[in-house]
Amino acid sequence: MIRLKGVSKRYRGASTFAVQDLDLEVRPGEIFGFLGPNGAGKTTTIKMIVGLLKPDRGQVSVNGHDLAMDPIAAKHSMGFVPDKPDLYPRLTGLEYLNLIGDVYGVDGPTRTRRLDHYLDMFQLGAVVGDLIQSYSRGMQQKLALTSALLHAPALFILDEPMVGLDPKSSHLFKEIMREHVKQGNTVFFSTHVLEVAEQLCNRVGIINQGKLIACGSMEELRRSPGHAGSSLEKLFLELTDEGGFYEE
Amino acid sequence: MKNSLWSLYLSLLNVNYGWSAGKYYYIKKRQRIWEPIIIAASIGPTLVMAVWFMWALTEQLFLGGLAFGQPHLALVTGTLMVSILSLFFGFFYVLSAFYFGNDLPLLLPLPLRSWEILVAKLGVILTGQYVLNALFLLPMGIRYGLLAQTGLGYVLSAIVVFLVLPVIPLVIASILAVLLMRFVNLSRYKDKLTLIGGILLLVVVLGSTYWMQESFGTDDPTALMEQLLSQADGLIVAVGRVFPPSVWAAQAMAYGHNPQGWLNLLYLVLCGILGLAILYLLGEKVFMQGVIAGLEGSRGTGKRKRLGANQEAGNLFVTLVSIERKLFLRDPNFALNGLVGYVLLPVMALLPLFGQNLEKNPFATLNLGEINSLLIIGGIALFFMIMTSFSMIPSTTFSREGRYLWIIRSLPLSISQIIGARVVAAQVVNTIGCLLGLVPIAYFFGWGVLEVVFGTVFGILLASVVAFLLALLDLSRPMLDWVNPVKAVKSNLNAIIGTFGSLALGFLLGLLFFFNRQTGTLWLIPLELGFVTALFAGLARLLVTRVAPRLWTKI
Repeated sequence: MIRLKGVSKRYRGASTFAVQDLDLEVRPGEIFGFLGPNGAGKTTTIKMIVGLLKPDRGQVSVNGHDLAMDPIAAKHSMGFVPDKPDLYPRLTGLEYLNLIGDVYGVDGPTRTRRLDHYLDMFQLGAVVGDLIQSYSRGMQQKLALTSALLHAPALFILDEPMVGLDPKSSHLFKEIMREHVKQGNTVFFSTHVLEVAEQLCNRVGIINQGKLIACGSMEELRRSPGHAGSSLEKLFLELTDEGGFYEE
Repeated sequence: MKNSLWSLYLSLLNVNYGWSAGKYYYIKKRQRIWEPIIIAASIGPTLVMAVWFMWALTEQLFLGGLAFGQPHLALVTGTLMVSILSLFFGFFYVLSAFYFGNDLPLLLPLPLRSWEILVAKLGVILTGQYVLNALFLLPMGIRYGLLAQTGLGYVLSAIVVFLVLPVIPLVIASILAVLLMRFVNLSRYKDKLTLIGGILLLVVVLGSTYWMQESFGTDDPTALMEQLLSQADGLIVAVGRVFPPSVWAAQAMAYGHNPQGWLNLLYLVLCGILGLAILYLLGEKVFMQGVIAGLEGSRGTGKRKRLGANQEAGNLFVTLVSIERKLFLRDPNFALNGLVGYVLLPVMALLPLFGQNLEKNPFATLNLGEINSLLIIGGIALFFMIMTSFSMIPSTTFSREGRYLWIIRSLPLSISQIIGARVVAAQVVNTIGCLLGLVPIAYFFGWGVLEVVFGTVFGILLASVVAFLLALLDLSRPMLDWVNPVKAVKSNLNAIIGTFGSLALGFLLGLLFFFNRQTGTLWLIPLELGFVTALFAGLARLLVTRVAPRLWTKI
């Protein structure tokens, strides 16, 4: 579903790589958690996958489409929610959702059905006719989630999705992720909340200083040499402090 | 379901002109209903005056041109005027919308082609330009049509000209912006380079415009006039040579009933199509590279910076002034819009010094070399005040912060400290800008040093108290929800009210000075300036201490 091959990115003027020689494969039907300390390269990686940044080296492909060669097809197959959704403040929620529906070519009946479903679920139905600038941060986050799910993307990419969500919405959202992969789709998300990753993810990848230092299922990571039986938190702290472990 | 490009265009149009926001506040919430009334009251008279001006100008130029058998001089003047305005101001809008919009990280991950984003954004700017052009071209077209008793061919050509004409300057502005940013965004110093590049482009456009006028024909005015009048449409071609599509547009309308007009219409349409084709290619090949490079930012060198003696604690007020000045000058959108007047003024004054004769200096017609010293002092003071409001620096000081206003609001600072620092920062920039324009003008007219010094002192004082009032106006209703940073300055109602307000004050003081001259009481001018300054200073002080704290907590 996502394949990164030798991807590197160095920001202008920086002497070190933000992401270096990253090889990663996220398979269809899995929830993949992307973990790492602040400044490790998580957001840079996600931005390269969604087309907000161009890698200096390497290849990014999504659902079989090379992002450099066929970005439109690649973007059609994904839905993205950034860490800080900056939505058009002077559109109403519904106007924004209709814009996204039109861009992704979601037909009227399907759009209505999905909007009814998600607006009810996130309790946005009563405010969807109001301006986005009148929404709280959590409501804006829910609107961004709804818009990213509107075209039922095969790949759902989220940068820190739980930030700003109340416990109920957070719970609902985890259910949505599980439901999404049950239908054969894929979820890729970055998070700092290790419990969420532990509960939800089929596999996790840990990035530190631009390099992938561990990748595998929770079981695989726990079986790694020197980390037997560790919790994800302990594992994370140990790995980001020392070398790393990678399960093929 | 709408086509994605159309849907994007409509959404951007809605965001830009605030249709949904208007409906939400004025109709649904029934709040801020006074806003459209103030907008209508402040802009309405100007619109009426603009329409009346174009109506009268068209008539004058028609009759003047008719004497030489070239009545469509009126048409080329109008088409040239709107084209140059579109090229000039379009550049700022295009630069800001294409490269500095907050919405780019939202649009880029969507399955939209680069040219679709480019065209939708250009479409929004073009729509605004149509509205603006209608103010000039409609009265011109109707008055000319009535005077020349034209037929259906004229009406049809005029409609096509109206639709196609603004496309050409905006496409040129877009191509310049895309090419500029392709290279500038690759640099670590992109903000500085954008500012310098933007100003240089404007100076080059202005310089080449002047050069084209200057290089026409001969030094002998009589021979030149004979040459222009002996050729068919010689005068029209001479006026429009600065921007040839304006000549095609004028001739397409004037000869709308015969093949000469159709041929000119064809030139115009082909030029528009060619421009759009070039922009499409640039959109596909270059635009996205510039945008992505712009979003990338830089991460420093990775080396730890040594913190030396410069980390000593500084004076709080000086720090606040310095931060405000940096935030303004480091954003090319704010700096370009705020400083454009200060750049153009000395360029306009100095360019003719390099030309063939000094009489062509636009200021020469004002004949300001032989007026009374006290009037010069009064005039300089008004110049400082009006330029301060034109720069929009004080009148948008809070609006420019946008969603980052929380930073300053959360600091333990009083609003009087904040406003004071902001006004000082604005006036440092405004004073330097005014002096840049004033010095060449004073040199050109041979004004004395004392006149300039006294005028500058009065000007700084008057402009500063006006700046306080403008900052308070922005505090009372800051525009914080912008997507495109140019909107925080150019489309900000506070800036518009401030500009018209200071123009009105300047007009009243100008009338008073005129009255002083007629009655032989010119010695009153310094007293009048002092009185108005003291009056406004008292008002500003009252508002800063009594009203501003309440406004600050209400935001």
